[in-house]
Amino acid sequence: MRDVYVAGIGITSFTRLEYPLVEIAAYPGLMAMRESGIKSIDQLYVANMGAARVNHQSGLASAVVDNLSLTPAGAETIENGPASGASAIKQGFLAVASGMHDTVMVIGAERMREVNNLEATDFVATLTHPMAEYIYGVTLPSLAGMFARLYMEKYGVTSRHLAMVAVKNHKHAMDNFYAHLHEEITLEGILDSPDASTNNPIVADPLRYYDMCPVSDGGACLILTTADLAKKTGKPMVRLAGVGQATDTHAVHDRKDPTDLLAVREAAKKSFAMAGVKPADVHVAELHDAFTILEIVESEEAGFFERGQGHVALQEGYTRIGGKLPINPSGGLKAKGHPVGATGVGQAHEIVLQLWSEAGKRQVKNAKVGFTCNFGGFGNNVVCLTFIREG
Amino acid sequence: MERNIYAYKCKRCGHVQYPYRTICRNCHENDHNEFDIVPLPKKGKLLTFTHLFNPPSDFSTVFLSLGIVELEDGSRITGQLSIERPTIGMHVRANVEVVRKDEYNQYYGMVFYEA
Repeated sequence: MRDVYVAGIGITSFTRLEYPLVEIAAYPGLMAMRESGIKSIDQLYVANMGAARVNHQSGLASAVVDNLSLTPAGAETIENGPASGASAIKQGFLAVASGMHDTVMVIGAERMREVNNLEATDFVATLTHPMAEYIYGVTLPSLAGMFARLYMEKYGVTSRHLAMVAVKNHKHAMDNFYAHLHEEITLEGILDSPDASTNNPIVADPLRYYDMCPVSDGGACLILTTADLAKKTGKPMVRLAGVGQATDTHAVHDRKDPTDLLAVREAAKKSFAMAGVKPADVHVAELHDAFTILEIVESEEAGFFERGQGHVALQEGYTRIGGKLPINPSGGLKAKGHPVGATGVGQAHEIVLQLWSEAGKRQVKNAKVGFTCNFGGFGNNVVCLTFIREG
Repeated sequence: MERNIYAYKCKRCGHVQYPYRTICRNCHENDHNEFDIVPLPKKGKLLTFTHLFNPPSDFSTVFLSLGIVELEDGSRITGQLSIERPTIGMHVRANVEVVRKDEYNQYYGMVFYEA
């Protein structure tokens, strides 16, 4: 296999965007081409989860490749739930590594705010098992609520710890121009004050409003290429060194230990093994905190902390910018936003920015090894990526 | 008539799975449809639960209580709860009722009550 490098990146704001999905996909592509000087590609992969359902548009990649005037390059749409983004990066990696293509563009794009919040939540709930979960009214927030309750009881995690994830990630997002939420929050405001129950109502007990990510529109792009072509861009050499994917049962109740995120553990292990690094070598990570509890548990399952110690590390400031292992310097899904199909590409965008030392005020010092965890379904399909800066 | 939710018992190894899978998760040996259809027990223990305050639009209630229950035979199921103050580990019993209605269909599933 050939080594695969990042040649260019691009992103839109993650927020409510008032322009068509195809353009949400095209702008980050344009940004990445402009930045890298790359004007033609061999193949485009577009990660998207809901265009056919939410935006009444199918065959998104064909529309995007034409919009960017990149025809006759190949183009495919990749749908893998909320892990579509990292899955598309995986396809791009395989295309370049195999020698089939030299330059591949990976775009993630989603426009969820075209419908109201209930419809968006229902669209995401179609990920659940149709007969064993969906018919009961199960949504992703409710799965997260049931998961959190059990996990909190088992490991002594409290609502306070969950709120600390939100406070940290909102703070990180303050320095991210592209983040959805530029709103600094405090434990006082969302937990302790008399107004807290109004500011932060329960949504899926024990999870509250500020334990959940917003519903976002947004797009992100990564151009992947060979070592020779990447050198020409003049950017620091960042290699996509590890790609790991794993799955778990479709229905959450089927898992032997319902507090396990087995697919995260396996995907992370594969990604680290391929990259030849250990969790302790990682300097910066973007984890899939669609719900605050997930950042804590994923940080354990990825191998950064012992089981049951993720919330302790959080409390001690380990995971904030300036700590030993900053997690979600972009603001994470919690505050940067979660345009489902674009999220995995957005995470990779942040890691590349960090490894290029171009993250501005939220820069993690001397970041050389970065990690992303993109979590699909309620942990039934997970893709983890490891990036290494060379030189 | 008493309604049931049915699980799938592998004809080769006896493992009971719910929901349906084409291949048995335990022995991986069976061919298509080599299952006996068996009713799931209706008594069990509540493993975890949530009260969902933004239920999907098919539901007209203010909140929806959902839980995962470990049934007497060790199999597990997700269901709705009709219990005012659920606690982890409490004993529950199920009734099979309409759990969701939309424009065209109604769906039956397990609703759990305090045992």
